[in-house]
Amino acid sequence: MPALASLLTVALSCAPASHPIVTEVYYDAPGDDTGHEFVELWNPGPGTALLNGLRLEAGDGGAPGRWTLRWIAGPGDSLRAGQRFVVGGALVTPPPQRTVSLELQNGPDAMRLVWPDGTSEVVGWGTHEYAEYSCGEPAPDVAAGSTLARIPDAAATGSNAGDFRAATPSPGVANLRTVDAALARGRLVLEPAQPSPGGSATLGVTLVNAGVTAWGLDDASLRVNSELLGTPVSVVAPPLAPGETLLVHVPLASLLEGRGVLAVRVALVGDESPANDSDTLLTRVGQGPLEITEIQFHPAASEGEWIEVRNRTRDALPLDAFRLGDRSGATGRVEAGAMLAPESLAVLAQDPVALLLAHPRLDPTRVRRVAPWSALNNSDDATGVADVVTLVESDGVPVHRVTYSAEGVVSGATLEVADGNWRPSPTPGGTPLSPPRELPPTPGGFRANPRRVHAAGETVTFAWELPWPSGRVTLELYDLDGHRTRRLAGPVESGERGERPVNFEALPPGLYLAVLRAESSEGTFTRVTPLRVEGAAR
Amino acid sequence: MSRVQRYQAIAVARLRLRARTLCAAWLALAGPVQAQDLAGTSPAGDRDLFALLEHALPARERGFAAAAATTRWWGLRELETRAVALGGSAGALRVASGLSQTGAPELGWTTLALAAGGVTREAGAAVRVVTRHDRDQPWSAARALEPQSGLAVGAGAWLEPAPGVRVWASAPQMRARGQPPPLDRTLELGVRAGGATAAWCTLRAPRANDDGERALGMVLALAPFEAWAEVRDGPLRGAAGLRASAGRLRVGARADAHPVLGETLRVSLEWLPGAGDEP
Repeated sequence: MPALASLLTVALSCAPASHPIVTEVYYDAPGDDTGHEFVELWNPGPGTALLNGLRLEAGDGGAPGRWTLRWIAGPGDSLRAGQRFVVGGALVTPPPQRTVSLELQNGPDAMRLVWPDGTSEVVGWGTHEYAEYSCGEPAPDVAAGSTLARIPDAAATGSNAGDFRAATPSPGVANLRTVDAALARGRLVLEPAQPSPGGSATLGVTLVNAGVTAWGLDDASLRVNSELLGTPVSVVAPPLAPGETLLVHVPLASLLEGRGVLAVRVALVGDESPANDSDTLLTRVGQGPLEITEIQFHPAASEGEWIEVRNRTRDALPLDAFRLGDRSGATGRVEAGAMLAPESLAVLAQDPVALLLAHPRLDPTRVRRVAPWSALNNSDDATGVADVVTLVESDGVPVHRVTYSAEGVVSGATLEVADGNWRPSPTPGGTPLSPPRELPPTPGGFRANPRRVHAAGETVTFAWELPWPSGRVTLELYDLDGHRTRRLAGPVESGERGERPVNFEALPPGLYLAVLRAESSEGTFTRVTPLRVEGAAR
Repeated sequence: MSRVQRYQAIAVARLRLRARTLCAAWLALAGPVQAQDLAGTSPAGDRDLFALLEHALPARERGFAAAAATTRWWGLRELETRAVALGGSAGALRVASGLSQTGAPELGWTTLALAAGGVTREAGAAVRVVTRHDRDQPWSAARALEPQSGLAVGAGAWLEPAPGVRVWASAPQMRARGQPPPLDRTLELGVRAGGATAAWCTLRAPRANDDGERALGMVLALAPFEAWAEVRDGPLRGAAGLRASAGRLRVGARADAHPVLGETLRVSLEWLPGAGDEP
């Protein structure tokens, strides 16, 4: 029976017997192909194969007879039994046995091996008009980034279409590995994205069993190494069946402040493809060099949206090294300009010209355009979040991220950070390029200013002073008889002192009682202040 | 039974039926108004001097009456009301006048109120006129009648369709002009059963931003003391009062408790008409 099988294989093979065969052709890398293309040969025979005189030719399927020599093997080139031989560009990893610029065409094209004994093997891809460019039906033309791989490595169906299919490039290793643990590239996720120094985070790693053999518990392990970790972290990978993918959460603790690389590697005994075992994530622990200090997400005039940032460092910063975005993940580039001095504020604006017209006293050198601008949402979603303002470095490393709610923020008011807490700015239109206004003490804990307003849309500013450093505040309005008329604001997070402007449109005239209700882990706090609304008799 | 007696019995029966129907209609349609400027410490349904000025519900008793009260609204020192009232009668006619001042000058106002009405043994009705003038301007009787000052006209009536049963309706702000009153007061309907010891319920019609108000209360009389309590909804809260009489002199106190706003406290001192001086 083995003799019959061998006979059948020879009969159906596109490759000549007793010679190494083509197992992988990578002809279309993403972007510029130069240096990335390669052809992999494999010796399935029992003895060493000498390659001297072997010609590797590229075929242009546009017309008959267009074969061009790309490489010819020398006297020292040989291939031991079961080994692989890669001919490819200088950028192929791991480095090929012979470095050659192959310049293979994207289909319909072909390559062929011509042996000194006159035999040859042709591999063609795409739809061909001329039969010389393929063996049987040509293989499919694969997308950029994919390789044309013989799967399994010894496949011999009598046609390129039957022997080859698209796969992840794997120069120098088997296309179908018996034992192979891999990481899905570019899918490392750190949660939270920007953890605090000394704190902990979870690294999400997508693990793949790319072999044909399942592994059990304790067979595979994941190891994370980084300058952000005091010591490397290792965890046991769960069992995984062939072809399966699993998201593994790796806990990271006692993180060190700074910007660094989290390098992850999966280890499995007998792994046949080390090239797909690792991945990296560039990230940051702790605060970045810039911090967001004020957000204008719903301008009342036509000055456009803007974000105020502060240089936290002792060095001047180039603002064009940063990008600004929203929850969608899209970011815009900050236009170049003068360096931002230490401890200085700058405004990143949707429309700097309109903003400078609305605030003519602003220093124009510190107002920068961001393009494209990611429009910020003005209303909350079901989770109580309106949007997320994200500041990242040009390579994607997080710098600062602020999640905000738009509830209770009157149109035109900005959100600003004061004493570590975000609050609606008490200054109409915000305070671009200026620090938040310090709030004065509020005798009695709660007051309204003015206490007598006209019903036709006058604004009252409510100020409070809590008995705690922070709390959750709600403002309500009752009539003199004790019936709740409306909720004015909240619940919102507040520092020890807070202010909230409220517009009294469409409120019937009368004497009202404004109520401040605050809660914290230390208790509750309620204060009442009277408010007179004037107007014509009903 | 004579024919006259039979007609009288039929008439009383019809009167009681109409009163019950009217009461049921009132209860179905409306809702209690808390007094503001000239508020006393009496439970709902009492017809004292403040009830005439605030609710246009005249007292059945005849004679001279005087009263003074002070209120601290929801524990706010800057929102206190001080009120005095005088009243008298001539036959079935009842008249009263009152003066009050509420709140700090920045917020408050001065109120002058006049009320006049008539009573029989089983019914009574009155009208009230109230003028308000802001405290941040000098007060005078002439200014109180200026167009920009607040003016409100209201009316009320009560009826006793059966012995020990009293129903009433009060619309204290039927018409208003100038500066609006501090609280929008809608139609109030009430029914009270019993004598000195009694129970009552009141309903206030809805106004902007609410769905009206419902109240239940009872008073327990143990001469010379009276204690009463009342619960109201929107939000659920309560009020309680205590009064003590010595001859024609009566002192009272009332507390209203609110789950958010705190307490409103009120005390009063009254000189009452002579007992039994009825039409």
